[in-house]
Amino acid sequence: MICQHCGKNPATTHIKRIVNGELSEIALCGDCARKLGYNGFFGDWGLQLGNLLGGFLEEEPEQQQELRCKGCGCTFDEIARTGRVGCAQCYQTFRQRLSPMIQRIHGNTSHRGKSPLKAQLTLRPQSAMQVVQEESSPLEEKQKLLREAVEKQNFELAAVLRDEIKALKEGKHHE
Amino acid sequence: MNEMKKWYEKSGAEGDVVISTRVRLARNLRGVPFPSHLDDSRKKRVLEAIHEAVIGPNSLFSGFFMWIPVASLSRTAAVSLVERHLASPEFISHPEGRALLLSRDESISVMINEEDHIRIQVLQEGLSLKQAWKTASRLDDALNERLSFAFDEHLGYLTQYPTDLGTGMRASLMLHLPALEESGIINRTASNLSKLGLSLRSASGEGGEENGCLYQLSNRVTLGLSEEEALSNLETISMQLLRQERGAREKLMQRIETQDTVARSLGILQTARLLGTREFMKLLSNVRLGVSSGFLKGIAPETLNRLSVLGQPATLRLPSGQEELPGMEQELLRVGLVRKTLSGA
Ligand SMILES: [Zn+2]
Ligand SMILES: [Zn+2]
Repeated sequence: MICQHCGKNPATTHIKRIVNGELSEIALCGDCARKLGYNGFFGDWGLQLGNLLGGFLEEEPEQQQELRCKGCGCTFDEIARTGRVGCAQCYQTFRQRLSPMIQRIHGNTSHRGKSPLKAQLTLRPQSAMQVVQEESSPLEEKQKLLREAVEKQNFELAAVLRDEIKALKEGKHHE
Repeated sequence: MNEMKKWYEKSGAEGDVVISTRVRLARNLRGVPFPSHLDDSRKKRVLEAIHEAVIGPNSLFSGFFMWIPVASLSRTAAVSLVERHLASPEFISHPEGRALLLSRDESISVMINEEDHIRIQVLQEGLSLKQAWKTASRLDDALNERLSFAFDEHLGYLTQYPTDLGTGMRASLMLHLPALEESGIINRTASNLSKLGLSLRSASGEGGEENGCLYQLSNRVTLGLSEEEALSNLETISMQLLRQERGAREKLMQRIETQDTVARSLGILQTARLLGTREFMKLLSNVRLGVSSGFLKGIAPETLNRLSVLGQPATLRLPSGQEELPGMEQELLRVGLVRKTLSGA
């Protein structure tokens, strides 16, 4: 398929877009897609990824392409063709071949941001105070706090409160 | 009709240039292939797991989020979600096995089974990166309490596209840059920003063809930088861009031709009997320039934010319940909305 914008290069990507209130699709080459600002949901690298991976693919000996990921059944060939990784386990399975590509995108570096929760949330001192101070009707009070927490989008506190309410209802709550 | 104001009905910090802030987080469930490698029945199981965590009987969100299966939506309603920046065109193009979680003020949405299992999005008016991140991160924690996420110590959160590895976070600002666009230096600016790890691109890719001088400025680097570092980098550089735009606006608004264009644009918005999408967005952009520079008085910036979202084609015809609307009727509806909104009714 030929790029619908320049009519010259082969189209490498199909862009979904909204035109005057309707969903439509346009086939573009990487250059035109970037020029027109029709980028993937998360940025413009997704578009180049197929090409980037494709470059690596050509250098690969044939028999290595037979390796399939146990998590999703993908071969490296499929990842390269679509620019998409099949599952989290692919990053292990094809580590050697994905690493140079990841380095080319991000540089030789590793993760420095947040990590998934290690343990169950514990009650923070501040919310513990709020809860402890209310001695009269703990269940009602906590339900009220929960509503407020959800309204304020304080989901951490809400999670703690919800568990306490559940415990109270089940009669497992020990003071 | 609703006392709760939507994010696009408000105006926030640095609102003369920054229309809105958006923070998105990509997360995937551990041990489940990414959505494009799931058939409909396995996608359904992912939906059920997340539904249970978020909407189920023990959930703290049940009153907070609406659960919207994409397949249950009319075409118009689905497109309107994109026009309101709540979902991507890709998301609504394959409705089966996908659902959207949406907070009632439309500031928080979660796309389920788009390119990743979970894509959290927080939208806020004006410049509000830290607040938007805080909200997104809290929701991430709350979901993580029930669901375990694919993560690697070195690669961070594991995502379908290797470009999102690490924090899985894209923060972006929707900017109105009429003066930089007019001066013709926007392409050079974009390529300079790209060297700094940011991307500046026309906002047209998501909402429609005519962008009305709207641009998205976002972070590109997700691996090797913490979320806070990426956000403060984005904020610092955006403040420089804001100064440039404001400087250029001042000069631009001194020109009698610009003043004429701005004044006429308001006149046309107020008196036109038909308004096409493209013309409407252009006029709105001109009026926004006039309002933000103090040249036009008596129009609140939030009025313009509201119009630019509610005046989009599918969102306009949504209340009529009709899937198709002849061009002229759509334009008449738009004229009605514009007049009502500008007169403050
Ligand atoms: Zn092309
Ligand atoms: Zn795999």
